[in-house]
Amino acid sequence: MALIDKHPELARYITEQGWFEFLREQTLAMIEIPEMQLQVKTLDSLLKMYGRILDAVENDKPFVSSYYCLAPELYTAMDLPYYMVMQTPFLASSVPYLLTDIDAAEEMGLGNDLCTAIRLSIYYVEANLSPLPTCALNLLYPCDGAPLLHEVIKRNERWRNIPMFACDPPYYSDERSLDYFADEMRKMAKFVETNTGAKLDMDKLKETLEYSNQMFQLWDEYNQLRRNVPSPHGWGIGAPQCFSQAWVYEAGTPQGVEWFKKLVEIAELNVKNGVGPVPEEKIRLFWFDLLPFGWVFEFLPWLEEEWGAVMVMDMFGNFPYTMIDTSSEEEIWRGLAKRNLFDAPMVRQARGVADNFANDIARIVKDFKIDAVVWPGHMGHKDGAATVGIMRETCRDLSVPFVHLGLDLFDKRYSTPDQIKDKMSQFFRAMGLG
Amino acid sequence: METNLKSKAFQEFSNAAETLVNPVLQRWKDQGGKVVGYFCSTVPEEIITAAGLTPFRMRATGSTGTEESDAFYSSINCSFPRHCFNQVLTGDFKFLDGIVCVNSCDHVRRIYDNWKRFVPTDFIEMMSLPRKTGPDQVGWYTEELAMLKDKVGKHFGVEITDDRLWEAVKLHNETRRLQKKLYELRKQEKPPITGAETLAVMVAGTAMPKEQYNEKLRELLDELSGTEGPGGHRARLLIVGGILDDPAYIKVIEDQGGLVVTDSTCFGSRLMWVEVDENASDPISALAQYYLTDRPSCPRMYGEHDNRAQYVIDMCREFNCDGVIGERLIFCDSWLVEHYMLGQDLKAAGIPMLKLDREYLTSGIGQLRTRVQAFLETMGR
Repeated sequence: MALIDKHPELARYITEQGWFEFLREQTLAMIEIPEMQLQVKTLDSLLKMYGRILDAVENDKPFVSSYYCLAPELYTAMDLPYYMVMQTPFLASSVPYLLTDIDAAEEMGLGNDLCTAIRLSIYYVEANLSPLPTCALNLLYPCDGAPLLHEVIKRNERWRNIPMFACDPPYYSDERSLDYFADEMRKMAKFVETNTGAKLDMDKLKETLEYSNQMFQLWDEYNQLRRNVPSPHGWGIGAPQCFSQAWVYEAGTPQGVEWFKKLVEIAELNVKNGVGPVPEEKIRLFWFDLLPFGWVFEFLPWLEEEWGAVMVMDMFGNFPYTMIDTSSEEEIWRGLAKRNLFDAPMVRQARGVADNFANDIARIVKDFKIDAVVWPGHMGHKDGAATVGIMRETCRDLSVPFVHLGLDLFDKRYSTPDQIKDKMSQFFRAMGLG
Repeated sequence: METNLKSKAFQEFSNAAETLVNPVLQRWKDQGGKVVGYFCSTVPEEIITAAGLTPFRMRATGSTGTEESDAFYSSINCSFPRHCFNQVLTGDFKFLDGIVCVNSCDHVRRIYDNWKRFVPTDFIEMMSLPRKTGPDQVGWYTEELAMLKDKVGKHFGVEITDDRLWEAVKLHNETRRLQKKLYELRKQEKPPITGAETLAVMVAGTAMPKEQYNEKLRELLDELSGTEGPGGHRARLLIVGGILDDPAYIKVIEDQGGLVVTDSTCFGSRLMWVEVDENASDPISALAQYYLTDRPSCPRMYGEHDNRAQYVIDMCREFNCDGVIGERLIFCDSWLVEHYMLGQDLKAAGIPMLKLDREYLTSGIGQLRTRVQAFLETMGR
């Protein structure tokens, strides 16, 4: 009996695996480009994750469903397969069935103004298209959508009896909040041990975090290279791949460290040769959100080709990179809490007060010689939408142009790529850029 | 509002629901009293009352547009904070002496950031409200409330003792008991008060000193006791949703023959269906326990959906409801997902549900009428 017949919930998961295998083959066709070699390694890590989950289901081994920015080093240290319950909207957003699934979610009664990533994730759970884990870790931040997704998961008839744990997020970023969240993380680890049988060896966790620290240090080093004019890379490689390595597939592994070393090496060479993603870098952009994953190829190459506009930095690419002190168990938990709650991209901006929106803009504009700040205005990012006045004022103080677009990162029918291109062109012309 | 009630007390409540500064509140101000505004029903009014101040639940009554606040918000933001912050910018809330905010939802929590940056205010505080409702979170919220108590006391020059807090808890529990009595009257076959009128009474309770409110509510209860309404409605309904503070919205529903006899809303039964434990060891932890765990929650709280759904089903049975109307402000993620799940729960319980999206200012009345009429017809009413 085929795995899919026994486990119909794996239907999308197996299709995605096939999709990424296909992409890997396509990438291999361009193997002589160093950046592409790195993309192949990224896809290898991703495919390894798919393989481990399918193996766990087939052989009845424990595995965990989790979310982004929830201390993935713990699973590495416990040698426990895990997947992100929200991965499909992000990873497979260029697959042919994306728009069909969005429509199916709406027909299910989820409307059309809830964040599409959340809506799709709910749809995949409700339609029995997400692998059923041994236990589930739920996230209650950074936005209203995350706890709602997990409330649906908690209530779903197939998931209802799966043990679940959610870390409660404090709103502030002070020492008291850190202690509170570190305690939540400790409890989460204990919960995983209890419900999977996997053991958390603190020496192994320490070793994992040391690799993880090296990855974050290299990421920071890489970002320093992106300060150069021209930037060694644009949207094609950078934050999404770094994030996926450091925070998802290779969290705290030697392979992850090697991946970052290679990235730095490639970027250094580009800087040395004065090479960037376009022949002439004319506009340096700070794209203050995720990339428009659902229609990335219909828009971002155009920005570079038409305007020489290079996405030097985005929301997921730059944050404090605080190293985790592994000198004691206490410091390890506090370090994990700090990294996942205070530092983590999107979480750091969206979870608490709006200061981080303003501070990050100010820091990145200065550090990366930014010519224009783009707030894409994803339809799901409502706290950010309520911060546009603050962002605009910050940019005014810095004398850097600011544009608010209004789009859906996943659904290109919300604002079409042509509409967004038109808005960007008008903005560049009005500001005398490019 | 248009009403068949001849009560003078009700008229005062109705006026209070239609304005921000009602005459009772104005008299309080004229006599030197101070008023502290707060967002969300998870902020304990009792602490404000214990400081000798009047708590005022923030709403945007009387707003006519969002011209000023549009520069701070986006078109995908809920219309409540946009209208409310517009009024902040135009000076409609100058009567307030302080503000207490909480991280209730993605839209409303940003009022704090915008207010703090752009509108000079002597006292503005933000509380960190947990998402979970367990003992650890009650512990966290207890600390939050203790800090709020200290800050309020320091700023307004009042020592908020345990005795003052217990006194406030008793006063507010009395309000809850009186409001519950009002709801009890609505269980009658011909309730003496409509859903729209009840909402006006509830809204007024968040906008005047509690002693005076309680006195007027007793007066109203005396007048209504032993009476009955005209009857003749087509169906008895429960309304469930978030910040619904406009009685006119319910009146449109009731004008179609759907009498709203109970609710689960932010200005409705969730405010008062249970009481703060007066026998707890200390008042701050009693308040934390109440506001975080004991009172019926809204979908902002994680892991509580089953309890919320059960609350709605129990209320439907207790008030003999024929159906449920779920109302949601457009762009509210919390209530969208809650209604999605609740619709399934109610279907399983055999209770029909109509889901309505709305803007903060009541509009689209023609469409609302049509939807409600169709709903009543599908119920065979």
